[in-house]
Amino acid sequence: MKKNIYILSVCLLALWSCDDRLNIEPAQSISVEAALSSEANIKGILIGAYNEAGEDDSYGGQLQVISDLLGATNQLTWQGTFIQPREFFQKGILVDNTWAEQAWRNGYETINQVNLVIDNIDIIEDAAEADRVEGEAKFLRGLTYFDLVRHFGISWGASNTAPNSGVPLQLTGIVDYSADQSIARSTVADIYAQVISDLTSAMALLPATNDEFADAFAAEALLARVYLQQGNYAAARDAADNVIANSGHSMAATFAGAFNNDSDGSEDVFTFQVTNQTGANDLVIYYADQPTGGRQGDIAVAAGYTALFDDPVNDDRASFTYVSVDNGLDLTLKYSNQFANVAVIRLAEMHLIRAESNERLGTSIGATPADDINLNIRARSNAPALAVVDVAAILNERQLELGFEGFLIHDLKRTGTAVGTIPAADPSLVVPIPQDEMDTNPLMVQSLGYN
Amino acid sequence: MKRTLLLSYFLTFVFAFSALAQQTVTGTVTDDSGEGLPGVNVVIKGTTEGATTDLDGNFRLSVAGNETVLVFSFVGMDPQEITVGSRTVIDVSMASSATELAELVVVGYGTQSKRFMTDNVAKLSAEDISGVPIPSFQNALSGKAAGVRVTQQNGKVESGISVSIRGQASVSASSQPLFVLDGVPLINDNESQNTSAVNPLLSIPASDIESISILKDASSAAIYGARGANGVVIITTKRGKEGKAQFSLNVSGGISSPTNTRDWLNSEQYIELFLEAGDNASWTDRTFVEARFDRYSNGTWGTPDQFDTDWEDVAFQDGHVKDVDFSVSGGNNGSTYFLGASYNETKGIIRSNELERFSGRANLSQKINDKFTTGINFNFSRVTIDRVANDNAFTTPLQAIAQSPLSPTHFGASDLANTGESGPFTRTVYANFLLQDEFGSYETIVTRSIGKLFGQYKFTDWLKFNTDFAYDIFNQTEDRWDGSRVPFQSTEGQAFASNVFTTNYVWSNYATFDKVFDAHSLNLVVGTEYNQSNRRYTDVTATNFPSDDLQTVTSGATISAGNGTKTAYAFVGFFARAQYSFQDKYIVNASVRRDGSSRFGSDNQYGTFPAVSVGWILSEESFLDNLSALSFLKLRASYGELGNSEIGNFASRGLFQGVSYNQRPGLVPTQPGNNLLGWESSKQTDIGIEFGLMDGRISGEIDYYKKDSEGLLFNVPLVPSSGPNNENGNNGTISRNIGDLENTGVEILLNGDVIQGGDLTWNVGFNIAKNKNEAVAIPEGNDIVSGRNLIREGETLNSLYLIEYAGVDPANGDALYYTNTENADGSIDRSTTNDPNAADRIVAGSPVPEWIGGLTSSVRYKNFDFSFTFQGEWGASIYNGGGRFQSANADWFDNQTTDQMDRWQNPGDITNVPQARLGEGNGSSHSTRWIQDADFIRLRNVTLAYNLPNSLLSNTGLTSVRVYATAINALTFTDYDGYDPEARQDAAARTSTPGQGQTFYSAPAAKTFTLGVNVKF
Repeated sequence: MKKNIYILSVCLLALWSCDDRLNIEPAQSISVEAALSSEANIKGILIGAYNEAGEDDSYGGQLQVISDLLGATNQLTWQGTFIQPREFFQKGILVDNTWAEQAWRNGYETINQVNLVIDNIDIIEDAAEADRVEGEAKFLRGLTYFDLVRHFGISWGASNTAPNSGVPLQLTGIVDYSADQSIARSTVADIYAQVISDLTSAMALLPATNDEFADAFAAEALLARVYLQQGNYAAARDAADNVIANSGHSMAATFAGAFNNDSDGSEDVFTFQVTNQTGANDLVIYYADQPTGGRQGDIAVAAGYTALFDDPVNDDRASFTYVSVDNGLDLTLKYSNQFANVAVIRLAEMHLIRAESNERLGTSIGATPADDINLNIRARSNAPALAVVDVAAILNERQLELGFEGFLIHDLKRTGTAVGTIPAADPSLVVPIPQDEMDTNPLMVQSLGYN
Repeated sequence: MKRTLLLSYFLTFVFAFSALAQQTVTGTVTDDSGEGLPGVNVVIKGTTEGATTDLDGNFRLSVAGNETVLVFSFVGMDPQEITVGSRTVIDVSMASSATELAELVVVGYGTQSKRFMTDNVAKLSAEDISGVPIPSFQNALSGKAAGVRVTQQNGKVESGISVSIRGQASVSASSQPLFVLDGVPLINDNESQNTSAVNPLLSIPASDIESISILKDASSAAIYGARGANGVVIITTKRGKEGKAQFSLNVSGGISSPTNTRDWLNSEQYIELFLEAGDNASWTDRTFVEARFDRYSNGTWGTPDQFDTDWEDVAFQDGHVKDVDFSVSGGNNGSTYFLGASYNETKGIIRSNELERFSGRANLSQKINDKFTTGINFNFSRVTIDRVANDNAFTTPLQAIAQSPLSPTHFGASDLANTGESGPFTRTVYANFLLQDEFGSYETIVTRSIGKLFGQYKFTDWLKFNTDFAYDIFNQTEDRWDGSRVPFQSTEGQAFASNVFTTNYVWSNYATFDKVFDAHSLNLVVGTEYNQSNRRYTDVTATNFPSDDLQTVTSGATISAGNGTKTAYAFVGFFARAQYSFQDKYIVNASVRRDGSSRFGSDNQYGTFPAVSVGWILSEESFLDNLSALSFLKLRASYGELGNSEIGNFASRGLFQGVSYNQRPGLVPTQPGNNLLGWESSKQTDIGIEFGLMDGRISGEIDYYKKDSEGLLFNVPLVPSSGPNNENGNNGTISRNIGDLENTGVEILLNGDVIQGGDLTWNVGFNIAKNKNEAVAIPEGNDIVSGRNLIREGETLNSLYLIEYAGVDPANGDALYYTNTENADGSIDRSTTNDPNAADRIVAGSPVPEWIGGLTSSVRYKNFDFSFTFQGEWGASIYNGGGRFQSANADWFDNQTTDQMDRWQNPGDITNVPQARLGEGNGSSHSTRWIQDADFIRLRNVTLAYNLPNSLLSNTGLTSVRVYATAINALTFTDYDGYDPEARQDAAARTSTPGQGQTFYSAPAAKTFTLGVNVKF
């Protein structure tokens, strides 16, 4: 009997529960509360935002390729098999285009992350540190909104205040998604106003140098680009001039030296960092051949580009190509190092902005337009000096210098120049609001020309 | 010793009350092997008086007189009625009942007799499963159980297999049932590192399996509580029986080929179609096309050296199968053993896809004394798989169908002389997979051990206690090497090595009470279970190798990536079940389980899952005695609540993770939190009739069920402009319990012994099931769209959602779409447009079938037997995402299907294929152009066998020799002209539901013909 009781109680003990074993914590993650509660973590979120913006969906390559393909007629050809980029080349973008969707999503992810940093900036105790962090966050936000509105909104111009002309304006970080997140589009004017406000504030908050991160001159250089897109030549000229004069950056000795740098060169004003372990450089993927790290030379330089050169024999830029192993076509040498940093702003653009603004306003702040073009841009590429440097020449020079770097469509739109037979203001040159946004956001209105 | 004492006290008691007893009868009841049978009911006919046999099969009873008839009955045995006569000792030998009703079915934590079961459980025996030499045993379930849909994802040897019981009951949480092997819930996670699934249950050879029970309704699965919502598949492995050692050897081998191939353009057609496409293009002309032809054909097109390569043929290979298994089982002196070993080598139908498996098993049990039995089940297996890329990768072999027929597969001798090039041809439309094949490798090794240590203590005959400690140790390593000549290789080679180590421990303790009091019979199970799982993952990537011959990570000069993660989950459960039956006619079964899981937040951690079922065996009633044709009639009904907890381990929390920018540490939000996240609950009602006619010659079941899933766990897409995280598989979503889903259906099962002669028998089994799946309620009634799938109230879950293709404009060859927009008066605008952006999407098809069925027939004539199983599905649609490349009237240089030659060419042409215009996307938008019905009937397996006659075997010492020929997937009847009406895309996010109705270069299943011999001695 005693033995039976003993056995029975052992059995009952076995029925005892292991309740506390149910509290298991994740090993690779921390909670939202922990992430937003310390200075080190807020700074970590800022670093994470650089990583986000540098992803292949955005500045890691696809944004620039979208711009190049949209603006191209005979300067390049698209050889690749992917359907999505081909839609940009054909100027027939479908609303379910995944590149458009990824650019949109990634842009707003970056915006949300920097909004979290700005919302929690008070947690940083040292005033100078807090300023730097806030400045960098605002730089990234300004950069992202500028590109969102340039691609998905209508061009800066007469219809700036038309409703649903811009993109949604999110200025608060979201971690709690339980509420309804529907939001309407703001106007082009509103978005540009926010971009300029953010970049101006960043200029004031950021130090003059900041390692590989955004500094005050990067913010000012970007502002120059924004003002130019608006046709505000005076402001563009002055901003570009200040960067040229005081940032400490200088043009690389040769044209080739401006590209394919593993670490930032003298001409790089702002880049996204890429190493063989981190970051993305999808410009190599689409512009280079397989041995160089690309797909199969998907984007080839065409005769229409070479025809732009006045002196293709001497100008280094005209022969800055190589023959693709995969398809025998000419590919640009600008993207021949798969682990090179991605340059967003380089000093050459500042010279071109200053020259164009001076020319249009009839001024010579910092240098005459002719000197800017001939001495600062053309000389280092061994291109002979141009006799006549007018607006048309400067716009052409932009293509010679900045070709395949994501500038063409925006230059065409701001100057009202048609893309082949398609007028600059045509709806087919505006990237449609992604289908996923239309499906989830009842306040969203699709752009003209798309369903 | 004590127990016999108790029994004799009881019997004396009985005797005291039957003082009028005139005759005492004793005896022993044995089974067909001569063993004493305990628990046999010995009842005086016409009364409720009787006795039960003891552990040794002895009974003792007092009877009134010579005319007394004693009825001996025991579940699983034919009942016997014996007149006492003048005897005082009656020994009875009972024979196993041949009818299905007498079978014991394994259910959770016990067994039940099929006759008295009030739940819906399908049972498959070893014969149903064996003889199918495919490495994945789940294939053998196909077409055998009503309402159970088994789909092989594609023709790769390691392909994931999807089992769906009574329709898809969940959206984001897994829809796979819980697999339990000898009491261990198995690790069933696809651990493949390239999004093409590896079936984790490959480790289990079919030859180990004794029976499979599929718990389909709520009442049977409720005892698995939080994990039973998708049904439970219980696998029981073979055990030994006391007696002489029995040896069994099975050897089989065979060949495989694809079940279907498609028609692609040959070189002449390709040239004709693409030159025309170039002519019709507005942005270029045929010179561009000709330049491409030059490149793809290596300059040979238009010359006598022009190639005409059948790339599809290059991608496929003749497969073969070799399978050997050997086992010995037996027992003596209270111990039983089953020892088995097996080997399988399968070369798949896709080039370079092969598998090799070794496994061994030992199931031992030892009776220590009358009360205590203990034992161990132990299994070890190692599977090595040579793999290929996933369906969406350029180097997957089946992507080769997109190559131009003008391209050669390799460079020729003249190339070696002229340009120094050799090896696979590199200037193909897409990367040439042969480069990956020859200069790269991808090997996955799964090592697994599943086992259980168990003990059973019998307090008394009717009260016993079980403790089981079970484990499942799973290890999967993947080694991938890309040599410098592999497509897209630019880092001087790359090696990737990964290791997943997952352990799953289960400790169950339960007590069983089993007693018969007169006409009442009561079975109670009460227990508790604790389950813990830990997973550890590491991987490393290296680049820059000095030579292509050095292929492991250590030889790389740069370590370019590395990962290491850990995760875990735990479940605690309490369960109880009671089954009560009265007069063997009226049965009630009730169960409850309370589960807690670490996966849910502390507010919602526990859930309670009750179930009840009732049954009434009408055929035992006296008012039905006259219907002699009706041998069995049972009505049953069940209702229960189950849970589904198969979501990520930390799905309810808001989380941030670390990232690296320029090798500086950063943080990024990865998952939005949801404190309200709770169980997905499923309420299921089942009503059924089981019947038997003509003494069980015809038997069947009809069931109606209704399964309501509430609080569906779903990854709801968030508004993209609110910035939700889009990496780590989250895709900008949040986990929510969003809505209700309903599955209703009917299952019909019929079995007939058509011919029951001595020399000739013929048995036919037929099952058919209808499942209707509908999303009943979604919050705010809004559609949820993800990719090509839609969730909308009133429609089937994950319906295909596409714009509707309207054919071709005869005037100009434009592809047309129906606008399908809603007019002001509510009608639908059916006008057509050539702008896909102007067309609205419609619900275009269901990804799952409405009807599934199977037909099994077995004929035995003397020493021959012939059996086959057909399986069919009706009502599903498949969207071929690859159609935009494969059948797109020469939109780009992919090879096209031959039907594209019917393209529009001149005004007035009536055709369904638009004009060929290179690069202009004429008709290449996602649309219903590539949706087809996926109805099919497939001859799943057919076997012809010959058993050597006993006369030949008598001197050899062999017990039986069976020679057989088997064909798997031999015939397929379908109108679907794609590769396989069953194949679905495997490169989805890591989900276990088959690509929601889509296919993308998915390989067809293999048809296999094997010959084998089975020897027993």
